[in-house]
Amino acid sequence: MRPPREQRRAAVWGGLVTAVLAALIVAGSRNLNHFDAALVGYTFATLFAAFAITYRYSMWLQRPPTRMYWRRGWSVFLTPRFIGGNLVEAVRRLTLSFAANRFIFRRGRLRGAAHWLIMWGCVLAAAITFPLVWGWIHFETVPGRLDRYQIYLFGFPAQSFAVHSVIGFVIFHGLVWSALLVIAGVMLAFRRRMVDHAAVSLQQFAQDVMPLLLLFAISVTGLMLTASYTWMKGYAYDFLAILHAITVILTLLYLPFGKLFHIFQRPAQIGVSFYKDAGSREPAARCRRCGMAYAPAMMVRDLIGVERDLGFAYEMDAADGAAHYQEICPRCRRAMFGLAQAGAWSEGLTARLAGDKD
Amino acid sequence: MAKPAELHFFIDPNRCIGCQACVQACTECDTHRGESMIHLEFIDRAASTQTVPVVCMHCEQPTCAEVCPADAIKRTGDGVVQSARKPRCIACGNCVVACPFGVPELYEDRQIMMKCDMCYDRTSVGKKPMCATVCPSQALFFGTLDQIGQLRPLSEPVNQFRFGHQVISTRVFMMMPGGLVGHRPLVDVTAAMQDRPRERAIRLTPATTDPFSQVEV
Amino acid sequence: MATLPVDELKIIERFGPHQSAMTGVRLSTSTEPERLVKTHCCFCGQQCGVQLKVRDNQVIGFEPWEEFPFNRGMLCPKGVKRYLQGAHPDRLTTAVGRDSSSPHGFSPLPYNEAIARVAGEIARIQQVHGPAAFALLSGASLTTEKTYLMGKFARVCLRTPYIDYNGRLCMVSAGAANKKAFGIDRTTNPWSDMVGTEVVWVAGSNVAECSPITTNYLWQAREQGARIIVQDPRITPVARTCDLYLPVRPGRDAALFAGVLNLMIEHGWIDRDFTETMTVGFDEVAAYCRQWPVSRTADVTGVPERSLRQAAEWWGTAKTSFLFHARGIEHHSNGVQNALGTINLVLATGRIGKPKSGYGTITGQANGQGGREHGQKCDQLPGWRDISNPDHRRHIAAIWGIDEKDLPGPGVDAYELFRKIDAGEIKGLLSLCFNPIVSLPDNAFIRRCLEKLEFYVAIDFFLNDTARYADIVLPGSLQEEDEGTVTQVEGRVIKINKAIECPGEARQDWRIIQDLAHALGRPHGFTFSGPREIFDELRRASKGGVADYSGITYEKIDAQMGVFWPCYSEDPRTGLAIDHAGTPRLFEPGSYNPVARGEGPFYFPDGRARFNVAEYRPAVDDVSAEYPLFLTTGRVVSQFLSGTQTRRIGPLVKQYPEPRIEMHPRLAERLGIADSDWTTVETRRGAITLQAMVVTTIRPDTIFIPYHWAGPKSANQLTVAAQDPISKIPQYKVCGCRVRKADAAPAYAAVREPQQ
Repeated sequence: MRPPREQRRAAVWGGLVTAVLAALIVAGSRNLNHFDAALVGYTFATLFAAFAITYRYSMWLQRPPTRMYWRRGWSVFLTPRFIGGNLVEAVRRLTLSFAANRFIFRRGRLRGAAHWLIMWGCVLAAAITFPLVWGWIHFETVPGRLDRYQIYLFGFPAQSFAVHSVIGFVIFHGLVWSALLVIAGVMLAFRRRMVDHAAVSLQQFAQDVMPLLLLFAISVTGLMLTASYTWMKGYAYDFLAILHAITVILTLLYLPFGKLFHIFQRPAQIGVSFYKDAGSREPAARCRRCGMAYAPAMMVRDLIGVERDLGFAYEMDAADGAAHYQEICPRCRRAMFGLAQAGAWSEGLTARLAGDKD
Repeated sequence: MAKPAELHFFIDPNRCIGCQACVQACTECDTHRGESMIHLEFIDRAASTQTVPVVCMHCEQPTCAEVCPADAIKRTGDGVVQSARKPRCIACGNCVVACPFGVPELYEDRQIMMKCDMCYDRTSVGKKPMCATVCPSQALFFGTLDQIGQLRPLSEPVNQFRFGHQVISTRVFMMMPGGLVGHRPLVDVTAAMQDRPRERAIRLTPATTDPFSQVEV
Repeated sequence: MATLPVDELKIIERFGPHQSAMTGVRLSTSTEPERLVKTHCCFCGQQCGVQLKVRDNQVIGFEPWEEFPFNRGMLCPKGVKRYLQGAHPDRLTTAVGRDSSSPHGFSPLPYNEAIARVAGEIARIQQVHGPAAFALLSGASLTTEKTYLMGKFARVCLRTPYIDYNGRLCMVSAGAANKKAFGIDRTTNPWSDMVGTEVVWVAGSNVAECSPITTNYLWQAREQGARIIVQDPRITPVARTCDLYLPVRPGRDAALFAGVLNLMIEHGWIDRDFTETMTVGFDEVAAYCRQWPVSRTADVTGVPERSLRQAAEWWGTAKTSFLFHARGIEHHSNGVQNALGTINLVLATGRIGKPKSGYGTITGQANGQGGREHGQKCDQLPGWRDISNPDHRRHIAAIWGIDEKDLPGPGVDAYELFRKIDAGEIKGLLSLCFNPIVSLPDNAFIRRCLEKLEFYVAIDFFLNDTARYADIVLPGSLQEEDEGTVTQVEGRVIKINKAIECPGEARQDWRIIQDLAHALGRPHGFTFSGPREIFDELRRASKGGVADYSGITYEKIDAQMGVFWPCYSEDPRTGLAIDHAGTPRLFEPGSYNPVARGEGPFYFPDGRARFNVAEYRPAVDDVSAEYPLFLTTGRVVSQFLSGTQTRRIGPLVKQYPEPRIEMHPRLAERLGIADSDWTTVETRRGAITLQAMVVTTIRPDTIFIPYHWAGPKSANQLTVAAQDPISKIPQYKVCGCRVRKADAAPAYAAVREPQQ
């Protein structure tokens, strides 16, 4: 049973973040002046998602290993001596890992391509729709110029552009482009999930298939909306709008629970990389049995702490005082695993041999 | 689909001949094709031909999963501890350093931990894992408790391991010489801390395991 | 013909060995095979069943075949990765001809032109120098159909007596000993009989590395109560945990067997009833063994007295037992005597021809058993018949439709054949499935002989190390590109099934041989349409012989998952047609065989087995003051024989990339050598420089080098060409050598990859 204190803390964080978001919606839409009432369903779904994601994130951060990495990650990142270099590195790592998905392409080209397309499709869509839903962005015709639109951000006028220009076409169809990216990515992902023997054996519907179906549904219904008002004179537009809203809202509700939560967990990868940098700057831990370096000493110390917090008792009684099983390298652990069994067999077979003599 | 509940994995390192058929076969498995997830250690080749094959022991309460900051390691309903979930694993290496059996490996380039998943692509459809199927000494065996009992009357499957003060229960069994030394409820791994491999496992004279001690150079 | 056409490294650059890898469809996790082909591994004599995954005429992987009774899905690393020999960049897809103007020494030839040229050269040499001036070398990794065809090709088409095979380096000591003792040459019991015995004696076999699947039988035997005895100069993986280890000094095996038998006689652990009623010659053997009291035996063999006594007691007092041996005691100029020594131990206890009691020889090559039965040996005709026996000659001449007088007489063994090349008697050579420049001892001599040949044609799927000396290389077939039978270690005839077609202009070897016969204008007897027709003729040819295959059909092999020979089409007792299932266990009490005709279970007219005095003789070129250390050679688990295939399979190369010199730390210390130091070994034949591997698992007076590598890494630069007087097997397992730390890394280290 998780202590209720952690849940209370998570709930408080969740409430706080939700409240801040709500306040920002009010402020950004100028007291709801620019808020589109038709999008209220979306708004509440995002508020719920904000609460649930924060709640879960907070619960996650309170797990001993995550807490350790969270604290250590920030403290090594913010170490004054290294902060400058760290900032540069952070940009580089964010670009390679997140913008380019390099590590995912290395896991598999098809996997990388699918993820990259879906990710950028979703990022683009989110960048457009969330500010629209929250009323943070709206368009007005430039007074006296019916062919020009003015963009307002948070109520402040920003850029203006010609309605029938290329840029206008691109901006107004932003969600079409994102939908096409997502659909292409989902197709690739489904192909992989159908033909790849590993994926077929390991995948679970709720974990792996459902998010793809949701993203696919959002993209297709969104495109149908565009098709409806562009070529079909708004045929079935209302129905499609409701259908689209349902798919989006379901996805927002699924976000904190399912596979898509990795969007929020994943940045920890960058924190871990700085933790590793810090670990490599200090002497490595040497195995108590073979004397070889096997891991950063900081990591071994931290892990011993984490294991204690988790209730493990890997402490050993060593001749030279207290010792911990973590202080033995993985290779020696494997060797000891074999030696422990071999010792018993040697004893047994030698005894059998001696028995022959008696 | 899931691994049939009556089928278990058994390891008997004392049988192992170090041929690496398991290592080569492991790379054929579709969940990690091209990479071997099994460890075959020559404990100290200069001193002995003794080897030990180590697969994931599939702990009842996996330390690797508990120390994972990303919640990336999951145990399926059939008791198989899976490789890290790819979307979640942040390649911190906690599992690698924490696993009492020294099993997981980190692949930094791909930012992922991978380990033996008992050939889930095979066991989940009723096939045997690659390593245990091909193993020429059957140091790795996959079957029922009844089968192993009939085949190996000298041996006794044990699935409790002591590391310091910690006892870990696993789904994978180690074959201990129950028929020779009597029942032992657990394998005391840390008791082997000072053990070193010997030329011969069996002493002909109590004094030495070196059969060449009398040979002049 | 002459020296190499161009620098060897240039040939290697184009023709390899290069390493294959899991790439493309062979790495893909989403490629479905079109079909699974049940067949067997192409490598050793265990012949493990395996299923090959096939797609687009390529073997893309494997799936264990758990129903096959011998190995039940088990495979060694070679069996796992064997599929990577296919679709290989080094594969010969056309004939190639020697061409010193080509940058790589050989240029492609159209197949028909190559055949015509080979036939023309054979005809020319035989016209000028006589039929016996052309010789054939064949192999025991071929299907039995091919080995039969090769024997027939030599005698019927080329009319040369000179054919021999690379089983000469492998199974002949065991075969000769079996012939002398039992009158038949086959493992007596199926391997399953090992489980349930009280004691298993492993004489000179590194089971873990050379026949890995047998390991499980050993450990199963132990689980069911057996004591395991291992006799070896090295503490092999099986020797490490066996119950009794006999650390024999290389070349002293016959002394060990005599000493143990002497102890058994002293203690009365002899089955007198059996020796008196079922055998001949025990008294002579007992008289010889009296020369081997335990103290002398211990002195000579290096095995402690206590261990000898323990072995004698366990072996002498057991009720059931299994003994098997392999090259460790056979690769000696005393190899037949060594093997006879083990047989004497078996016969003295009467534990043979019964469930849970048997004797076996572990075959080395895929068809180490079948390949020594049907006529590719220099003195043999199909059905294990004797080429000097007039009745046998008449029977085979009739099957072949030739006059008995046209059938050549006995030839010479493979090594002697090279001596005849050296002497100028043999001018032309065809080789198939043989890489003598790697596999024969003292291979500097082999190179000189190859250089003397007027014409040399090799058939192979890769340009093997010897084929670099060829005038023409014809592109042959991989095992998976053809069908046929082989006979595995237990004497079980099994079926190799075709998985894919030959690529390019490559052909099945039997087609190439028949094409040559046609091009030579002598097609008579070489018009088979496929292996099944060859097998049908082989069945008729073998009928009535000791190795009687007449009752075996491809269908019966499939249905029974193998058929143990002899398998009769007619009951040898009555002459009536029968549906015979085969003979899993030989010499069972009351069993009938066509030689003894009911007189007894053994294959002699009186039905009794023969004791033979198995005399210890010191090795040729034994240790001396000048060459004070024993050199012994052998195998590693990831490589196979001369490495033509396994040195081209990347994952196997990586497992054990290059040969190393195993030596004991006490020896290394005395020589000032540390692990991985470059070290030079010299014998009277030559020198080799390799890295040292310092391990406590070898006798301190002995060094070991594995022999799978070629050129400057070939262990057979060092070995002695001494041969057993009966079997003609070379003495690979012992010779005197001296060792020193090398001054520097050898020149080859910078220019050759590990496998080259």
